[in-house]
Amino acid sequence: MIIESIGPALVVSIPLFSALLILFFGNKIKPNQRESITIIASIIVAAIVFSMVSEVKDGNEYVTTLWNIVDGISLKLKTDAAGMVFACIASGLWILTSIYSIGYVRGHNENNQTGYFAAFATCIGSALGIALAANLITFFIFYEMLTLATYPLVAHYRDQKARFSGRKYLAYTLISGQLFFAAIVWVYANYGTTEFIAGGFIEVGSMSKNLMCILFFMMLVGGAVKAGVMPLHGWLPSAMVAPTPVSALLHAVAVVKAGAFCVLRVVCYVFGPKAALWCGGAEILSWFAIATIILSSLVAIRQDNLKARLAFSTLGQLSYIILGISILSVYSLTGAIYHIVAHAFLKITLFMAAGAIFVHTHLSEISTMKGIVKRMPITCTAFGVASLGIAGLPLMAGFVSKFNIIEGAFLNSKPIGIAVLVAAALLALTYLIPVVQIFFGKGLSKKSHNLQVDSLCHSEALDASWSMVIPLVVTVVISIILGIAPNAGLNLYDLAIKAAVSITGEGGIFLAG
Amino acid sequence: MSNFLNHLPVLVIIFPLAATLLCPLLGHFSRDFSKRAVIFGLFLSMVCAFIQLIQVIKNGEPIHYFIGGWMPPIGIEFVIDGLNGLIIVLVSTISWMTSLFSSPFELLERGNELRSVGYYTILCFLAVGLLGMSSTGDAFNLYVFMEITALSGYGLIAIGEEKGPIAAFRYLMTGTIGASMYLLGVGFLYALTGTLNMADLAVRLADSHDSPLIIASIACLIIGFGIKMALFPLHGWQPAAHSYAHPAADPMIAGIMIKIPAYAMLRFFFCIFDKSSPIIETFFTAISIMAICGILYGSLKALRYDTYNKILAFSSIGQVGYIAMGFAIGNFYGLIGAVLHIVSHAFMKVGLFYTSAALKYKYDIHKISELGQVYRKMPVTSLTMVVCALSMVGLPPFAGFFSKWYLALGAIEKGQYIFVAVLIVSSLLGVIYFFRIFENMFMGEFNAIGTDNPVKGKFEVPWQLIIPMCMVIVAIVALGLFNSFIINKVLKVTVLEVFLG
Repeated sequence: MIIESIGPALVVSIPLFSALLILFFGNKIKPNQRESITIIASIIVAAIVFSMVSEVKDGNEYVTTLWNIVDGISLKLKTDAAGMVFACIASGLWILTSIYSIGYVRGHNENNQTGYFAAFATCIGSALGIALAANLITFFIFYEMLTLATYPLVAHYRDQKARFSGRKYLAYTLISGQLFFAAIVWVYANYGTTEFIAGGFIEVGSMSKNLMCILFFMMLVGGAVKAGVMPLHGWLPSAMVAPTPVSALLHAVAVVKAGAFCVLRVVCYVFGPKAALWCGGAEILSWFAIATIILSSLVAIRQDNLKARLAFSTLGQLSYIILGISILSVYSLTGAIYHIVAHAFLKITLFMAAGAIFVHTHLSEISTMKGIVKRMPITCTAFGVASLGIAGLPLMAGFVSKFNIIEGAFLNSKPIGIAVLVAAALLALTYLIPVVQIFFGKGLSKKSHNLQVDSLCHSEALDASWSMVIPLVVTVVISIILGIAPNAGLNLYDLAIKAAVSITGEGGIFLAG
Repeated sequence: MSNFLNHLPVLVIIFPLAATLLCPLLGHFSRDFSKRAVIFGLFLSMVCAFIQLIQVIKNGEPIHYFIGGWMPPIGIEFVIDGLNGLIIVLVSTISWMTSLFSSPFELLERGNELRSVGYYTILCFLAVGLLGMSSTGDAFNLYVFMEITALSGYGLIAIGEEKGPIAAFRYLMTGTIGASMYLLGVGFLYALTGTLNMADLAVRLADSHDSPLIIASIACLIIGFGIKMALFPLHGWQPAAHSYAHPAADPMIAGIMIKIPAYAMLRFFFCIFDKSSPIIETFFTAISIMAICGILYGSLKALRYDTYNKILAFSSIGQVGYIAMGFAIGNFYGLIGAVLHIVSHAFMKVGLFYTSAALKYKYDIHKISELGQVYRKMPVTSLTMVVCALSMVGLPPFAGFFSKWYLALGAIEKGQYIFVAVLIVSSLLGVIYFFRIFENMFMGEFNAIGTDNPVKGKFEVPWQLIIPMCMVIVAIVALGLFNSFIINKVLKVTVLEVFLG
């Protein structure tokens, strides 16, 4: 059933409106007042999104149809199950990242805080727009807005290095965006619609196999760049020059997830499983994903910079989602959509911990962090727990999603997929556990440890400020809860199953429960 | 009242024409009087243009106005349909905005009375020419207005910066050739048909579309319009003229002076000639090659300049190519894209030249390397620049994206995939040259800004500069978000019936 409602439009417009407010009044009011705009907006948005969950779970859709944005296509937002999962994550984590950001930028005395918070809100608004967009044009508008809004965040420090990463980011995202644009025009000219339909609207045999494969990858390249599928990942590690909450946002909430979500929309809602398999695109995509999972893990092991290591870990984890999508079975899709949730909570914890360490001790290289747990016990514990979750340990959120993807691969008889997933889980242990070991280990000697950590600590307090610690504790606790009871709270697991079933059109034993 | 409504097409032109004539007279008494006369005249013209467009939409059919009551083919006829109603609104709005925008600049003229009054006279005359070109339904009358436009253009370029007179002389030479070519082309048509009225021409040419005279005429017309709209490779005069014209008049010269010939070309090729004949097809192929080369050439050339105006001028060569490409595509969405691009690019270019003039006004900045975090001092100017530039690149939700969408859609429907590739490449080149500007503007060396020209009032530049810039921002966003209203209400009928019917 379709419910005409203004809800989806509010969800998208409130962050954008708050961004304008911050931009225009940010420098005229006190910082606390400015930040309260962000916090209030994020709470309102999250409340609206969460209130729509129960109806969506029952199979209803909230739809806002605005005016025709181009001749024949309207600006339309709707809440289907998959979009709802992403919207819940983006809006829920916005609250936490905002609180964390306030602690970070103040603890670190960042410049241009007004611009920072405005761009941040725009990013979230665009990500929500991507989640709720009902057709390709609406999707593309928010997709490009996200690109633009992220640019000032990446180039936040405005020095030579930041400029360079900004350029790199734009080069990757805008080139792929333009290809995506051409593909959208092509689809519209050929099929006369751009509406997302679970199971896709492109029919097998409607154009030649090779041509459809080209179209498939032209559409996909937009999502693949943002999701950092190798070899299109180059922008992501260099975007690490940005402030840490930005990295957390980029990695866990907005940009890379928007990329993965874009892949989901294109493969499952434009092409559909049949056409995607028929043209051979899904097969090729799965090989790219497999290569990325393995290679990124291998590169991650060699990184000494904590954020860089996490960045490469993100590449691998995102490709789990891509792999799950490209297997195209009901289990793997459930796993892929749920991995958006699981990875969001786990990776944001890791990044927030890295940021807290950096603000508190000014350390960014792993090898210098020996024994840091004595200074920051809560942060380091959270980091350790989240690392195990990333590796896919049972009772953590990461396990649920990975298990589903593996099961999908098994049922679709893709042994290579299983092998890769298991191997990658082990690799994740090899690049994250040593970090935890260093955190918890003893320093080389007591003296050097004191010199290294104590002299660099610029505050005497135990652990970072509360506004940084609380969000990361909340996220790590949630990721444990979701591991034990995947349906806790917002029923995101049910939503993921619902989306997967609607895409493949098959139910099976899986749904009996 | 109905009397007033009946005379709208000519009132749109009479008001600025009267202001042009009054301006030098009033200037003898007070410089301010003459200035206000021009601003007021253009404002009235704008109001009339809006009412006229509403009338056209309401009636659902074109307005025919016979000047002096003389019927064609003896008399001159003004024909206002949805398309040129929209173009007239565009021209009159931008003219009024620019006249307002110009007013603070006369203080920089150091009290040169003659120059200030002369400036306003010529500016208003330029508006008269452009409005006439858009309204007329008579091929020779079009030539007259084209010359009016060109003559006032020469003047405004010559009173510009140091190199202005040379640029004006060059434009004078090339522009005269262009106008002569146009006249020659119309002459051939007259020889063939014995009429100059566009509607009559279309009727009488219907059965003689492969005569050699027509071929010669079309070739002359393409060269004539090509020079006037600075279509590659006939653009030689344009970069210097757009770079060195009077900063306050530059928005108008760069923004709409090259668009109206493009509109006129559309009129000629789709209303007068039979577009299905193989000869026209051949000429369209030629135009599409010119367009593609122009788009790539303009975008590439814009990369290598440090002077802000030069970058904008070369980018215009590329953007005019978009419009010509829309003509060459020639189906519904191609033409819609071309017309929307005429309108939206006019606003974008005008906006960008406003920012250029504001930067010159306040800090005498000419080069982008001098921008040095100027956004801290001039937020509104910077915002205008960002919005216009993103729209130029073709990023949603700004107007430029949507004209690009229609052009690409038209190209794919016609199977011209190369056009889509060119559009994409040109957008990406646009990203490079505009983000070079952004980098300097937001991340440059803070101290690089030149000396401050103190401005009274609470804004960064006088309010006369702020208002037009804000109007441009609103226009670009509105044209983007509500483009389908414009298409459905204004353009669809005209394009389907008049151009493709």
